[in-house]
Amino acid sequence: MTRWMTLTLVLVVGLAGALTPPSVAAQETVRIGFFAPLTGFAAADGASAKHSAEIALEEINAAGGLRGKRVELVIYDDRHDSKEAVALATKLVERDNVVGVVSGSYSMPSRVTSPIYAKAGLPMVVAYAVHPDVTKAGPCVFRNGFLGQVEGAAGAEAAVKLSKAKRIAVLTIDNDFGRVASKAFIERAKKLGAEILSEQVYPLGEKEFGPYLTKLKDQPIDLIYHTSYYNEGSQIARKAREFGIRAAMEGTEGIDSPKFLELAGPAAEGVTFTTNFNRDDLSPAVQGFLRKFKAKVGVEADMVGASTYDAMKILARGITEGGTDAKAICAALTNLRDFQGITGKISRFVQGEIMKPVQIQVVRDGKFRSFGVIDNPEVITPPAQ
Amino acid sequence: MLFLLQVVNGLTVGSLYALMALGLTMVYGVLRVLHIAHGAVFTLGAYGGLWAYWLTGSFWAALLGATAVAVGAGLAMERWVYYPLLAKPPIAALIASIGVFIGLEEVYRIVAGPQPYSFDVGLALPDLRAGAFALTGPQLLVALVTGASLIALWLFLTRTALGLALRATSQDREMAGTCGMNVRRVVALTFAIGSALAGVAGMLVGIYYNSVSPTMGSVVAYKGLAIIVLGGLGSIPGTVLGGLVVGVVETLLISLVEFPLPRDAWAFLAMIVVFLVRPQGLLGR
Repeated sequence: MTRWMTLTLVLVVGLAGALTPPSVAAQETVRIGFFAPLTGFAAADGASAKHSAEIALEEINAAGGLRGKRVELVIYDDRHDSKEAVALATKLVERDNVVGVVSGSYSMPSRVTSPIYAKAGLPMVVAYAVHPDVTKAGPCVFRNGFLGQVEGAAGAEAAVKLSKAKRIAVLTIDNDFGRVASKAFIERAKKLGAEILSEQVYPLGEKEFGPYLTKLKDQPIDLIYHTSYYNEGSQIARKAREFGIRAAMEGTEGIDSPKFLELAGPAAEGVTFTTNFNRDDLSPAVQGFLRKFKAKVGVEADMVGASTYDAMKILARGITEGGTDAKAICAALTNLRDFQGITGKISRFVQGEIMKPVQIQVVRDGKFRSFGVIDNPEVITPPAQ
Repeated sequence: MLFLLQVVNGLTVGSLYALMALGLTMVYGVLRVLHIAHGAVFTLGAYGGLWAYWLTGSFWAALLGATAVAVGAGLAMERWVYYPLLAKPPIAALIASIGVFIGLEEVYRIVAGPQPYSFDVGLALPDLRAGAFALTGPQLLVALVTGASLIALWLFLTRTALGLALRATSQDREMAGTCGMNVRRVVALTFAIGSALAGVAGMLVGIYYNSVSPTMGSVVAYKGLAIIVLGGLGSIPGTVLGGLVVGVVETLLISLVEFPLPRDAWAFLAMIVVFLVRPQGLLGR
């Protein structure tokens, strides 16, 4: 009888031990949650985000971790599916003992999960998702990417002041980001004295730009501004070249990808765009990231990767200053000043939105090069919400 | 002149639509089945062409590769999906076809990756210009390939015994069998020809947009239906006409209406109108 009782006791203790390792492990490590679309149509961006988060993690641990503790990433695949994102957000909150979360995902998964993290009091840093609602979930959601308003207005500054465009045509992709960015572009460009000769809207996924560009063919246009992703942006560039349109072209961070260069081919040459990542920045941090990414993944780094790397480093700074207490991390990030990331120097966060210069890049000899920087505070200060 | 240029844009897109949809209408003709998986054959043609081009660097080898893999896939579907389901109600074949289409799309995604590949064959055809009118090199390529495919198909259907058998089977399968035709072989032949056209179309679309991706066939799978209904189910000239009409109408509406109604919507509006007004389609019997 006693033998059975002993055995039962051993089993119960053993089971209890087996079921509660995270709390024990949490003593020695700091865990950071991470999600990105690792499979599905957005998997290319998801992979870029994940590799970059891992590069940041390796650097943090090589430098002795955070507050003397090793850092661990808990990585999940949201498949760009809202249901999946919600399920794994619940896991991160309930089970994984993370001190903060980095989103390496698009707007939709980030937007449905930010309220969950906000409610649980977990700090969240969003790498590049653009939807305005993402940061509205609570005071502890921070975004490393630009709002559409900022990118559009900065695009207008670049078009009028750097590219000297006076007569502009605008091609807008029919989604939230495209409409907001184009609206801000048009407002700012008019204010700077440029004339908008044409405004056209096209659906996401459009392949055939013949009808849109035929209309622009014989107009005296200096520059075509398009909000697009690399699939649409490369078709616009190719078709314009096919039609012999000589106007300059300017896009947004949506085309900041090696795939744009590949799909547009020679038509990419001379295209400028707004983004946050300047590959010509010779600082050791930027060049080191470019080198490590190329060595790890085999392709050139893009805006998505660089933004995710910075999102990791921003959260790490919060933990360094605030420890593992969520409120202290939030306070540290809210009070962050002049943080040097590889996507630029962050002046501060305004209601979770970033304030830093907008980079203008240009395609030259099949490579992304620096074309200029927009740091006019009137343009880059995030609008109050 | 602007109008004329837009018509040229529309005819270019329209001839791609026609090439994509021909296989659909031919299969419908002989089996009375909506061959949704035709979209997957189209995509496979694009990948096959790209692969052959990587191996050989030759446009003609790529065309051969695209045709070969597409024909192989079409015949396999006929043998292992449609033939076993022939005795079942048509809904079974339709559902199986949708399943094959979705499954293959995922296979392409797993094997080739979700990102698009560029398909640049370096084929620099000259622009044809007459005053303000211009037919660009890529548009000329589409016109030439589509024209050649359609002429070959027409010669086959009207000048050969097999072509006659195909048309006979399309009109009445049982009667054709009773008259001593090998219906089974004619059905396989229909799949082979329709799939070859889809393979050529896939490769042509890949080159024209310099982009090959796993989901590129979805436009065939859904818009192809609207086109063959518009033209008249089973009618080959009707499908060509339907493709061209949809291409031109879409293009003109985009250029005239300043409203971003997805271009795909127009084809389906046309399909609904056809069902209401002329259910047999433009050239249907």
